[in-house]
Amino acid sequence: MGGTSSKLPKDLLSEYQELTFLTKQEILMAHKIFSELQDRENGLYSSRVSMEKILTLPELKSNPFRKRICHVFSTSDMKDGSLSFEDFLDLLSAFSDSATLEIKSHYAFRIFDFDDDGTLDARDLEKLVNSLTGETDDTRLTGEEMRQLISNILEESDIDKDGTVNLSEFQHVISRSPDFVSSFKIVL
Amino acid sequence: MRRMSVFPQHGTALGNLGLTANEIRQETENNTSELVSDLVNLSARARFQAIQSLHMPFNEKKTIRNRVNSVKLSKTILAADCRQQVSQSFRRFRASLASARQHLIIWQGTLKEIGGRFGTSVLSYFLFLKWLLKFNLFSLIINFCFITIPQIVHAPNISSITGFRGLELLTGVGYFNQTVLFYGGYNGEVIVSKPAYNMQLAYFFTVAAYLVLCGVSLIYSMSRSFQKNFVLETGPVSGGAWRLLCSWDFSVVNAKAIQYNKNNLAIQLKESLSERLQEKNKMSLSDRIKHLSLHLLAWLLSLGLALGSGAGIYFLGTDPELAFSFNHDPSDLGAEASTLLLPVVVSLINLIVPLLYSLISKIESYSNPRAKIYISIVRNVILKMSILGILCFYWLNFFPDNISCWESFVGQSVYRLLIIDFIFCLLGIFFGEFLRNVIGAMCIQSLGVPEFDIARNVLDLIYAQTLAWIGIYFSPLLPVMQVLKLFIIFYMKKISLSMNCQPPKHTGRATQIQTVFIALLFFPSFVGALSMVAFTVWSLKPSDQCGPFQGLDTPFHIIFSWTDSLPENHWVGWIFENILRSELFYYLISLIVLVITYFLWQITQGRKQLIKTLREGIVNEGNDKAFLLNKLQNLQKERREMASYRPQDFDQTPHFNPNWMNTLPLDM
Repeated sequence: MGGTSSKLPKDLLSEYQELTFLTKQEILMAHKIFSELQDRENGLYSSRVSMEKILTLPELKSNPFRKRICHVFSTSDMKDGSLSFEDFLDLLSAFSDSATLEIKSHYAFRIFDFDDDGTLDARDLEKLVNSLTGETDDTRLTGEEMRQLISNILEESDIDKDGTVNLSEFQHVISRSPDFVSSFKIVL
Repeated sequence: MRRMSVFPQHGTALGNLGLTANEIRQETENNTSELVSDLVNLSARARFQAIQSLHMPFNEKKTIRNRVNSVKLSKTILAADCRQQVSQSFRRFRASLASARQHLIIWQGTLKEIGGRFGTSVLSYFLFLKWLLKFNLFSLIINFCFITIPQIVHAPNISSITGFRGLELLTGVGYFNQTVLFYGGYNGEVIVSKPAYNMQLAYFFTVAAYLVLCGVSLIYSMSRSFQKNFVLETGPVSGGAWRLLCSWDFSVVNAKAIQYNKNNLAIQLKESLSERLQEKNKMSLSDRIKHLSLHLLAWLLSLGLALGSGAGIYFLGTDPELAFSFNHDPSDLGAEASTLLLPVVVSLINLIVPLLYSLISKIESYSNPRAKIYISIVRNVILKMSILGILCFYWLNFFPDNISCWESFVGQSVYRLLIIDFIFCLLGIFFGEFLRNVIGAMCIQSLGVPEFDIARNVLDLIYAQTLAWIGIYFSPLLPVMQVLKLFIIFYMKKISLSMNCQPPKHTGRATQIQTVFIALLFFPSFVGALSMVAFTVWSLKPSDQCGPFQGLDTPFHIIFSWTDSLPENHWVGWIFENILRSELFYYLISLIVLVITYFLWQITQGRKQLIKTLREGIVNEGNDKAFLLNKLQNLQKERREMASYRPQDFDQTPHFNPNWMNTLPLDM
């Protein structure tokens, strides 16, 4: 994949269609956008685009979870959040219209797991609530409210009562929120 | 199928158990080969979907797929390979069909833009509008093809008494009176052509088929929406915290909108926290009585307003000055314009009384903001349906006896109501949103930018659609107007939205409210229209001088004469006589449905019990794991202490994560 306007070969295209939830148009559009990001990368040609470049996309620019999203979908060995084209397609596929609830909830769990330990403990939940509420002082939750909120959340979803929310419990609580599937969407 | 969902990247959780790198590799290799063997045993289509739904990075999915394919290849023979080719090409064809369909979807880009700026709840209004547009378009097409075209082609009888004046567009009379726009423009001849085309049967069956299809489609959407959104709520009472967090809208891309959503979410979280705290404080008895009496007062006022509006419309309609004066003198423009008075009054009531309702609801105090929305929806629906009910009653009781060609007259009244409602809607956009935005932004800052009130707008749409459904029988080409109206309203609302409004503050439970709207579209709206049309067809005498059913006792008698005219022992006649007209059939059907309902209810009860037992089982399992963890920790401690005495006997134990238990699958 080099050059300014390279076309995607047909067999690669059908492979991408087979292994992701994206349609042909979506894959071609993603390829176009990704090539533009690559071209503006100064320096040597590399197949990965750095996290800073990815975060200039309008769809991700103001998303509160943009850095976590890049880290979760990145397969780079250096753990720097850079995405190859396949990682980019994985991202779009998980956020697409036709992705199943299980895929979305799995990736949502990994995005919300700020310390990457496989469970959502009280610290992860606190970071989650803080990213979703404003940063200004009057919209931030006070310490007391945060404690109350986290204990409400755990009471609602912690079935085995161990103080953390694991993947199964998360998926169970997600299945009872019908808004989730329609909100967990990013379309180019 | 075995879930590969557990281990995060490269089995890091296993690393916490104190295993060496080789053992980790062995374990992941075992998992992979189990996954491959599972996949190989599935059918082609299920395998394709399963591979697509694996949550692994792309390259790992590719490796798995290649391994599965190589295993399959070594197992299959040539004939099965052909079958695989066929299924693959079929799959590609289906994918290309889906992408072609995407092109045909209208307004795709616009809807995405609206969703990106205002979120999914405002988007649901526009999707509802698009859905109603589909209904009307379908009705237009079948009415046009099956009724209007034969009428125009074979029996053009446009005898225009008066020329075309501009006022027709508003009142629907005069020039339009004898055209195919209304019932009176059709006659019920049997068109003599190669296959004899019976216009009466065509008219009857087209309208009936359309209404039945509408009903089926509504019931289907309603049940699917209900199933998705009102899932069984067992377990601890959901305070709604997770629901609020999970409803974060990732599709919003505008930075200001995201900031706005964050502020809203913070406010909603704080509200729900204080709600929980308040539930714990019980109200005193005198407070409760006070609240209850305020609620009662508000309800009495609302119902009184609704009744008053209904009575007012009734007396206005039966006022002999206004009612039939036009009928006698077609060239009197003034009398014709006065027929517009009733629709204008109806639209004014529809505009003002909801505002009064929102004022009334300010005196009440609600424990739950959602209850407030639902109660205001119920009151508005009662108002609108009582107005429509009074109008239908008035039309069906007075017109048939006093006016010749009364069906056309009813059609014209519906037409007038729809047009005036449309004009008021446009005026409402201009005054309600544009001017208020100007006032709020420049003159009185504290008033603020107007919010996009989803409930009010959707109820307006439902009201207009009810009118359209009532009018289908009396005016087959009415959907033309409805389609044009919906198109124009879509674009006007979109422009007004981007220029003037801000998104609504309470965004939670968008899908639940959508279910309520679909249910409202079905129950008072469609069922009411259907019952009115059914009453007309079943028991009212059609007018003698015009329309396709002249001379019959009721329009339904057309079916009797048709079955009589069929040859003896024809299967349609047999079904009609012995099944549809016999009471025994309906008794049997009701009995069977009741029995099935009882069985299903029992099954639901059993499942609830099962869920409760399983939950308790999970808690017990959690306790067991905690116990085992403690034991393991003690063992590890002992090992380490002994290692400090004799270091050469023991390997280095890596760092131990006490939470490793949580990373194992919960096999339920």
